Amino acid sequence: MFVIKFRKYFLALGAIIAVASLLIIFTLNLNLGIDFTGGALTEVTYEEKPDKAELETTIDTLSLGGYSLRESVSDTGQAGYILRTRDLSEAERTTVASVLTSSGTNGTITRYTSIGPVIGEELKQKAKWAIVAVVIMIILYVAFAFRRVSYPLGSWVYGGITIVSLIHDVLVPTAMMSLLGYFMGVEIDVLFVMAILAILGYSVNDTIVIFDRVRENLDLYRQEKKRKIKIEGDIQRETIEYTLTKPFNEIVGMSVSQTMTRSLNTSGTTLIALIALYFVGGAAVANFALVLIVGIIAGTFSSICLANPLLTYIAERKLKKTE
Amino acid sequence: MTEKKTDNKTDRFLNLFKALVVIVAIAGLGFFIYNNSLKEGASSPFKLGLDLAGGSHLIYEADTSKIDPAEVKELMNTLRDVIEKRVNIFGVSEPIVQVEQGSFVSDANTQRLVVELPGVTDVSEAVAEIGKTPLLEFKLIDKQVVSSLTDSATSSELTAAFVDTGLTGRYLESASLEFSGAQGTLSNEPIVSIVFNNEGATLFEEITRDNVGENLAIFLDGEMISSPRINESISGGRAIISGGFTPEEAKSLATNLNFGALPVPIELASTQTIGASLGNEVLGKGVEAGMLGFILVVTFLLLWYRLPGAVAAVALVGYVVIMLALFLFIPVTLTAAGLAGFILSLGMAVDANVLVFERLKEEYKAGNDSLNSAREGFHRAWGAIRDGNITSLLSAIILFWFGTSIVKGFALVFGIGVIVSMFSALVITKTLLQALPVAKESDKTLLSRLYKSGL
Repeated sequence: MFVIKFRKYFLALGAIIAVASLLIIFTLNLNLGIDFTGGALTEVTYEEKPDKAELETTIDTLSLGGYSLRESVSDTGQAGYILRTRDLSEAERTTVASVLTSSGTNGTITRYTSIGPVIGEELKQKAKWAIVAVVIMIILYVAFAFRRVSYPLGSWVYGGITIVSLIHDVLVPTAMMSLLGYFMGVEIDVLFVMAILAILGYSVNDTIVIFDRVRENLDLYRQEKKRKIKIEGDIQRETIEYTLTKPFNEIVGMSVSQTMTRSLNTSGTTLIALIALYFVGGAAVANFALVLIVGIIAGTFSSICLANPLLTYIAERKLKKTE
Repeated sequence: MTEKKTDNKTDRFLNLFKALVVIVAIAGLGFFIYNNSLKEGASSPFKLGLDLAGGSHLIYEADTSKIDPAEVKELMNTLRDVIEKRVNIFGVSEPIVQVEQGSFVSDANTQRLVVELPGVTDVSEAVAEIGKTPLLEFKLIDKQVVSSLTDSATSSELTAAFVDTGLTGRYLESASLEFSGAQGTLSNEPIVSIVFNNEGATLFEEITRDNVGENLAIFLDGEMISSPRINESISGGRAIISGGFTPEEAKSLATNLNFGALPVPIELASTQTIGASLGNEVLGKGVEAGMLGFILVVTFLLLWYRLPGAVAAVALVGYVVIMLALFLFIPVTLTAAGLAGFILSLGMAVDANVLVFERLKEEYKAGNDSLNSAREGFHRAWGAIRDGNITSLLSAIILFWFGTSIVKGFALVFGIGVIVSMFSALVITKTLLQALPVAKESDKTLLSRLYKSGL
């Protein structure tokens, strides 16, 4: 199996991707939207939209502090603007709305969101806790599901590797959002957190299916040898020794090939549905779909080209040590 | 041998019968949904969330810092009832007013009131209407503090001069406009006469009995409007609010008090409005994306897995129909996030089928006939299907617990999707596969090729 044969290159590639993603995230930061920071967003559409600079000079007189005005095309195809400001009071909101609608022709406010800083902060906390909870749950579940696998690697190794590839899968789409935020002003909203949590579940599922096959094949190519050892005090203790009738590397390689079609087909069909969502689903869910698309590609790569090379690599190190 | 053959025949007949039942059930359920909910002018259409139907979403934060924690829940329910009465003035269909607690992960246990007004896109009107709900409080004046106050007292020093009595608008029974002239004074001033309920009357009597000679300040929306001296214990639960009102002011105060007064002060924390045309557009595009995704996935399955692929296609139709039926019966309010969860779970519903078909193919290649391969395929794929679905389901549960309404919508649809996808693979796909004509790879017939896979 080529993935196992060239495992060092794949591991290096995975490490490079993860480190590069981390660098991007830390240097460019994440562009958090008002869902998390608090603030107000007003979307206005026009039959004929006013000049941007003109509108800006009018808004400047309102003393709203820093704001951003972006041109937008709504889902209905109408041109307009999106105005982002700090959290507005009811009186301020009314003034802003009247200023926006009185410029251009037939201006209407199509969307208005205002989120207080407390609610934003709380959402941030919730998002962190949800991600932590999912990760803990996954480690526990994988350790439990593989509890009978003990040779040559303990069940916690499988759990640990699942988490490593999961971190990779989350870093890649997050880095992409960081890039999009830096260059195109795309903001991170609640939907992004949902997409990340969905990726967590998906990534684990993808890795587990292959490990499940490894577990099954280990059973097939394992011989048990029971030995009775006498220890002090005339107590007999039974120990079981395992030997593999096929090298571990080959067993893993075999498992990867056997599950390859499934991995590709499942990822492929999920991607088809998501690509349809991205292109046809409208602006509201386009970024959500994009994060998932990137996350699922990363997940398929990591479960095939990272998790299994890592498994054989750790097994090799362990065997060398025992020798 | 002959007995075995008849057994096989009855088996075969039974399998075909079961498959027929499954297909008729899917078709029947599909027709039912179309007739009741999708057709134009359907009697019970799907419930659409604000982001799809358009409307306003308001979050109020309630200040419960001065309230006994044991009473908070009851007070919040009173608040909800009062606001609900207010909201009903709009004549909005199915407004939602609910109490929400801040999560346990944040420090303060904040109490919130969420108001959803489908169809109301003029948020200022909604905010103004809800804002009319008066906050009525009765406070005693601490004379010692008052006497120590200087002219330049800060507002916090001022509020310290008033002691909460616990008597608020929550104990209000009714209010009416009167003119003080009726009592024989000269001024003929418009006043608002209020009647407390039994609990409030007792409280009012206690307060007045214990504080004869003190001043009882009446606060409306946080501002003192009068502070009459208590001359004697007042029983019967009647009180008068006078504060130099014009007749119009007194009239609207009485009306507003009759709709109910706020038991606790509230403040608008978040507002969200979505125009109806935007919502419609999001819905239309979501449905379009879902249909396109579905057609593409089914096409792929047919091309790659051939006959079993056709079975998977029927199972997926069954999956969609069952999901839609559940949306109607539970009922689930559909949002953009919910639609996304549905489309995502559609992709994952395919996974169980793919896992089974891959195992089926292995067995089939090894020389088993198609029926036994199918049975063995299900048996072998079960471990992976179970592990994958359990992790997904646990994620969905955590997401649901995670909380805000938009996330809950996604998690609910996703979680239901995981369960239904298991059902569709294990019941629909299995039943249909077992009813298909049996073939072996070595037959080399057209049928035997239909069990193989690849483009």
